[in-house]
Amino acid sequence: MIQGRASILVLLALLWSLPLHVAAAPRPAQTSLEYSVKANYLVRFAAFVEWPAQSFATSQSPVVICVVGRDPFNGALDRAVRGQTAHGRALAVRRPDTAEAAAGCHILYVGRGGGGMVRDGQRPVLRVTDGNVSSDRGMIHFVIDDDRVRFHIDLQAASRSRLSISSRLLNLALSVRGG
Amino acid sequence: MPWVARLRYSPFPIVALASLLVLLIAGVAIAVLNEQSLRLQTAREAGAQADLLASAVSGALAFDDAEAAQDYVNAVQINPSVLTAAVYDENGRMVASFVRDGETVFHTAASGERATMFDDGHLLVARPVEEAGQRLGAVQLKLLETPRAQRFSRYAGLLLVLGLAALVVVVLAVAQGALRRANRQLADRAAELVRANALLQQQMVEREKAEEALRQSQKMEAIGRLTGGIAHDFNNLLMVASSGIELLDRTDDPKRRKTLSAGIRQAVERGAALTRQLLAFARRSPLKAEVLDLRGHIEGLRFLLERSLREDIEVVMDLSADLWPVEADRGELELALLNLAVNARDAMPQGGTLTVSGCNIPGDDETPDRVCLKIADTGAGMSAVVASRVFEPFFTTKEVGRGTGLGLSQVYGFVRSSGGDISVESREGVGTTFTLCLPRSSRTPAGAGLVTPAAAEEPRAKRKATGRLLLVEDDDAVAAGVGHMLGDLGYRHVRVANAAEALALLEKDPRFDLVFSDMVMPGEMDGLGLAQEVRRRMPAVPVLLTTGFSEAASAATGEAFRLLLKPYGIDGLSEALAATLSERTA
Repeated sequence: MIQGRASILVLLALLWSLPLHVAAAPRPAQTSLEYSVKANYLVRFAAFVEWPAQSFATSQSPVVICVVGRDPFNGALDRAVRGQTAHGRALAVRRPDTAEAAAGCHILYVGRGGGGMVRDGQRPVLRVTDGNVSSDRGMIHFVIDDDRVRFHIDLQAASRSRLSISSRLLNLALSVRGG
Repeated sequence: MPWVARLRYSPFPIVALASLLVLLIAGVAIAVLNEQSLRLQTAREAGAQADLLASAVSGALAFDDAEAAQDYVNAVQINPSVLTAAVYDENGRMVASFVRDGETVFHTAASGERATMFDDGHLLVARPVEEAGQRLGAVQLKLLETPRAQRFSRYAGLLLVLGLAALVVVVLAVAQGALRRANRQLADRAAELVRANALLQQQMVEREKAEEALRQSQKMEAIGRLTGGIAHDFNNLLMVASSGIELLDRTDDPKRRKTLSAGIRQAVERGAALTRQLLAFARRSPLKAEVLDLRGHIEGLRFLLERSLREDIEVVMDLSADLWPVEADRGELELALLNLAVNARDAMPQGGTLTVSGCNIPGDDETPDRVCLKIADTGAGMSAVVASRVFEPFFTTKEVGRGTGLGLSQVYGFVRSSGGDISVESREGVGTTFTLCLPRSSRTPAGAGLVTPAAAEEPRAKRKATGRLLLVEDDDAVAAGVGHMLGDLGYRHVRVANAAEALALLEKDPRFDLVFSDMVMPGEMDGLGLAQEVRRRMPAVPVLLTTGFSEAASAATGEAFRLLLKPYGIDGLSEALAATLSERTA
């Protein structure tokens, strides 16, 4: 058990050290690091956002992170999800290709070409958009600011979808709309 | 139970010891509990602060916002007891920190576990940062625990009170122990005192007895020393009486016979007075201070003094008429004067003058009023050495057999016990003067001094009396003499020799007007017993008792019988009989 935890810590340490120490690395590597950070952030969002209870089938149902459109993570998201929990639930990654298939998502990352598939609506889905992909903003919109991955938050849209976002997350946003 | 006794007598009482112990334990317990609760509270507060920080920095840690994390950490600085604060990320690297001067902070977190540690006055609190179950990192706070000195000072008051209480308990215990010891010693001493007192009482009783015996022997010694003079005097009286009687037989001249019988009577009366005084003097009596009229008393004693001295010594009395009364024992005063007189007599072998003078000495502020008697002789005197020792017991200058040396010591003892002083002045060849000073009494004397001798009595006209008497007398000569007197007075009488005969006769023939009985008689019953028996059987018949013994006399008067002292004359007899008979008729 201790052995296991130690190995995870070593792994995470390796992963985490990358963006700080290799900030000035060449572009492709930076892109990969950028998405690795974004993948981590997607996992963290699960902890700072609360979904209404009816959005889960059972109390054991996982928090589902969906990627629509082109997946830029190159497996980083699957690695980040591994072993993590939020609100006592496991995390799962799906890549639905239809709007119907995206019905069970809780966090939805909109990749390139996935913009038209899902809109903000009545369903309690945290739609995350990326400034690298389009200027269309979801509830959370990733941007690169001062060489760091930051985000804007649209609290109005989140409230409409009956999501509550922790104030600690709001504090870190570059801007909060409707706050 | 022996342990109870030990408890009672242990010098440091166990109760005090126990209370001291309880006090100490209570004090320590209070301090420890206080300390613990204080630590708990400190830890709780620090934990709360760490929890606050941990929850505040969760977002900053989750999204790598070191600045935001630093802001939260800086906010913690407000608490002055926070020495360091650090936020570590998921991998244990420090993201934000705050360090006060002189403190150090770990740059990597040891572990992300919850921990609270006390370490040398510091309190280390570690808290994991979690959000919705996601482990995001850790925070660590290092707080200053209350310094030892400050903690100690918090208990200093308690310690002081405890110390004082302990001191009080110890002092009380020691005092109680000392008190208990002292009590025990006191009880021992009291018991000793009781024993000593009992011994003293016993010794006092014995001493009183011895003193009583001494006084009596002093009296007897004085009488012994008087005997020579008295015997001489008696010889003279007997000479007068016998020659008078012989001359009576030879003459028929009534005038001459009257002169002769008067002379004889006078001699006999003088002898009677002399023996009466001697007997009164020799009587055993307890010491009793009474108010005395010195002048009357000494004048009354003159007769005895003159008899006990020789003819070649002249007695001069010079007592002022207004002498103050004094308080003293009558017998002791007489004895003292007799002792001084005999002493003077022995100092004047060639004759001389004995002067007894008395005067009042008014006192002043310091000394009370006194009456001083001076007994002066014109004898050989004494040397200063002898004069300084005359009052010592058994000191005597007389040859063996003539004096015991107790006489002047009796005088000294009498004067001192009466609250007075005695001094002696003597010049060899000129004489010696003893001065006795007694304090004045504020009371007045009860009555006159000694019974004056009946020398002054005139022979009464002969009266004829009637009556039948029972005369009880063992001495035939006396009985004959008394029988003549009774016949002369007109009484008829029957004489018996003792009490038994008297009772037997009374049984047969109770027709007597009076029983006249001697007191001291041979036989089982004496005169007093007879008198009591007669009074019981025949209350109508009066009894007249007669005796020459002073002790018997006092017994008779104690029983309320009329008494006629021997020797008595025909007049005395006549009066006594008449008085006794009149009592019956009354």
